[in-house]
Amino acid sequence: MIVEGKKKIWSEYQKDIPDDHYFYVRSCIRQNFFPASEKVFLDIVRDRLGLDFFETPHHTTCGGIAYHSDSIPQETLMTIVARQFALMTEAGYENYVCSCITSFGIYNEIINTWFHYPELEAKIRELLWEASKREFKIPKSVVHASDVIYKLRNKILESGKYRLVNKTTGEPLRVVEHIGCHYSKMFPSKGVGGAEYPYVLTGMAEAWGGTVIDYPERRHCCGFGFRQYLVQANRGYSLSNTHKKFESMAPFKPDMIITNCPGCPYFLDRWQYVIEELEGKTYGADSKGIPVFTYEEVAGLVLGYDPWDLGLQMHQTAVEPLLDKIGITYNKEDKYKI
Amino acid sequence: MTDRVLIIGGGPAGLEAANQLNLLGYKPVIVEKDDTLGGHLAKWDRLFPEGESAETVLYKLIKPVEHTPVYLNTIVEKADKEGNNFRVKLSGGKEEIVSAILVCAGFSLFPAEKKEEYGYGIYNGVITSSDLEKWFKTGKGVNINNPSKVGFVHCVGSRDEKICNRQCSKVCCVTAVKQACEIREKFPDSEVFCFYMDLRMFGRKYEDLYLKAQNKYRVRFIRGRVSEVSEDFTGKVVIKAEDTLSSKPLKVSLDLLVLMTGMISNNSIGEISGILSLNRAEDGFIEPSDSITKMYDSGKEGIFLAGAVTGPKTIPETLSEARASALAIHNYLSNKALQ
Amino acid sequence: MLYDRLMEDYRFKEGLNACINCGTCTAICPAAEFYKYDPRIITDTVQSKDEDEIEKLLRSETIWYCGQCMSCITRCPRKNGPGLIIQALRNLSQELGYFIDSEKGRQQLVLNRALCGNILNYGYCVYPRTFHYSDHPENGPVGKWIEDNLDAVHKRVGSNLDGEGPGILRKIPQSDLDELKRIFDVTGATERMEKIETISKKRAKELGLSDEEYCRQIFTINSEEHYI
Repeated sequence: MIVEGKKKIWSEYQKDIPDDHYFYVRSCIRQNFFPASEKVFLDIVRDRLGLDFFETPHHTTCGGIAYHSDSIPQETLMTIVARQFALMTEAGYENYVCSCITSFGIYNEIINTWFHYPELEAKIRELLWEASKREFKIPKSVVHASDVIYKLRNKILESGKYRLVNKTTGEPLRVVEHIGCHYSKMFPSKGVGGAEYPYVLTGMAEAWGGTVIDYPERRHCCGFGFRQYLVQANRGYSLSNTHKKFESMAPFKPDMIITNCPGCPYFLDRWQYVIEELEGKTYGADSKGIPVFTYEEVAGLVLGYDPWDLGLQMHQTAVEPLLDKIGITYNKEDKYKI
Repeated sequence: MTDRVLIIGGGPAGLEAANQLNLLGYKPVIVEKDDTLGGHLAKWDRLFPEGESAETVLYKLIKPVEHTPVYLNTIVEKADKEGNNFRVKLSGGKEEIVSAILVCAGFSLFPAEKKEEYGYGIYNGVITSSDLEKWFKTGKGVNINNPSKVGFVHCVGSRDEKICNRQCSKVCCVTAVKQACEIREKFPDSEVFCFYMDLRMFGRKYEDLYLKAQNKYRVRFIRGRVSEVSEDFTGKVVIKAEDTLSSKPLKVSLDLLVLMTGMISNNSIGEISGILSLNRAEDGFIEPSDSITKMYDSGKEGIFLAGAVTGPKTIPETLSEARASALAIHNYLSNKALQ
Repeated sequence: MLYDRLMEDYRFKEGLNACINCGTCTAICPAAEFYKYDPRIITDTVQSKDEDEIEKLLRSETIWYCGQCMSCITRCPRKNGPGLIIQALRNLSQELGYFIDSEKGRQQLVLNRALCGNILNYGYCVYPRTFHYSDHPENGPVGKWIEDNLDAVHKRVGSNLDGEGPGILRKIPQSDLDELKRIFDVTGATERMEKIETISKKRAKELGLSDEEYCRQIFTINSEEHYI
């Protein structure tokens, strides 16, 4: 592989990520399964770096999972999103940051659709007014929370306690980066690094000392598939796709996986357990599984957070092998202490 | 009036036009931006459909014009119409007074790295058709070491709205078939696959070459556009496509993948059409005044066109057009002289 | 005309340009590898405007196989979006009640109840108190531990589960939920939900199944005919 070629492409996909003053909206899946990630994110940007990330208790789901499961019409989704934009407008913000990748894709899709079909935007404004007497401005900027951490990656490193380096060998850890499909596959210019070689997570992993693996199924979906996971009968689809990715990455002997979509780490984590149960096959060089992380969790580890404050006990695939490789100190007994 | 004609571009079109203009009694002057004559032909090894040596063809084109004045490494900076003539300013401070201008600015090959999903410049086993041709000719450039599986991807940068090149580049289909046969000649144990959307074997003997590729060389033709290229743990190139004739997604590991980059308009066409106020079409090529009966006519008095500057063409087509343009220039200058 | 109905959907307008049957979409489609599914053929079928074929699609299993990853959109050389076409087809299939003719289509009932229920009752698409380990055993022993100690685990990691004010999994105020309900009412979601309920209940009755039995069946039954 020739890294220069990738660098050339990366240089062509630089997106504008505002420095400060964001309206922050949460992710349904991240709150359910990786709740501490959102806590750490706000800790970093607000408490450590003193930035303005405003959250209103009145914001809701964007409806994205229901939309991609075809349970709500497009107008419903658009009006829920319009309401979120109205909350932003009312709070006096113009920069919108979301924790969810499905949402991020939806915001980009909606803004793009309204641009091409202004009559639809007008209709949604009417529907929102009818439902809630609210009005909105379209955000000046829509970014994903991983864009913000990408932008702050060197600052995080400066105050970091640990590196993504094997303590024993001194070698960089081998990192698989997995980007949520809706981050840039629909709108390549909206993602740092584009759609084919996204740089948002690679940039973090490299800045923090790791080396990134490029494996054949790198761009393949984690296998969520919305209805393909939510309905039990369809889960073969979801499991098979995750399995395909693991089979493809296994020869490269990754130490860890880092993700930016809230759903992907759930599937890459849970399905590893299922593959082990069904086939007796455990991935990872030491057959202890390949630990899967959100980017906030990795940032938290680099900054020296206690792994159990980061919620890593909520993962099914054990994270300890990775913690030990880096040399992170933690208390075993505290893991399931509640 | 003068008997001087400025030819912009020293590729096949420019060379053949210069020869014909000489024979008709005019004094052509060639301006070439590169340091050699011959354009892309000079970099090619063999030509479809019969494997004619590019060098021999180039020799046949250059030999008759060896006494024609040529400015190498030179471009046109300005051209002002003064009565029946043009006062042309060239880079390097030279000036020419001519009575007609023939634009043969040619084409560029699509920069394959723009088709990001194919990983050119990223994955070691991915090369372009021109890299392969250079390797055939000189053994240099890329490293090809007894590959056992080789793939050819048709339509790279052609017929693709996504990268804003809608046009068919015309010559790549038959070039792929030619190169596939050559790979099989050089590496008799190799397996060769061509991934195509449509095989446009429009020229005489092209279909024969296709038949030979199937019968003699056992090249496998798979109807499906390659969607994605990656590299596996052993460094092999992995491609994904659909075999659309059996409706099955395919994943194939290859030692070498050749991207058939298409012919596109280039900066030279942009610059010269700006200087001479010529019309460019949406695809970037120059629009002739009448694309059926007057391909050579730019629509601007005294300015003529030949070759790929008006769109992708084969060499025989380019040469015919060069002759047509020379004749059109002759008619134009004769009429002017009579007036 | 079904084609005209599809054209009323903005996703269809965006998703169908003109297909050249190159297979770029199918080559990388996660569904095409496991299901009897070919997004290229679906795109070609809808562009044929063949009413009978489109109706067959609307009543088929096929349109429900897509996982909405939208990988097809990145690659299509003609700027089509098979994933968007699928959304329009699924939408129309539900509008016309054709979803009931396929095993995968019938699943819309449980999806609607779960997702729309969570949105309207809690303001989330996924909500921990309605997410049951018994339906998601892939969560493993850790998932079981989380379910058994839901409040304590969330408290430990900093959630504000069902709490006031902002924060992770906070209780979304009733006034906001009321707004969501009104949005559902004015944008057709409520009507859609009722339509799915009515048609599904009729079906359950025909089969002599109770609501619970019917839901269990569509949630779990997976016939082998779907796979390659």
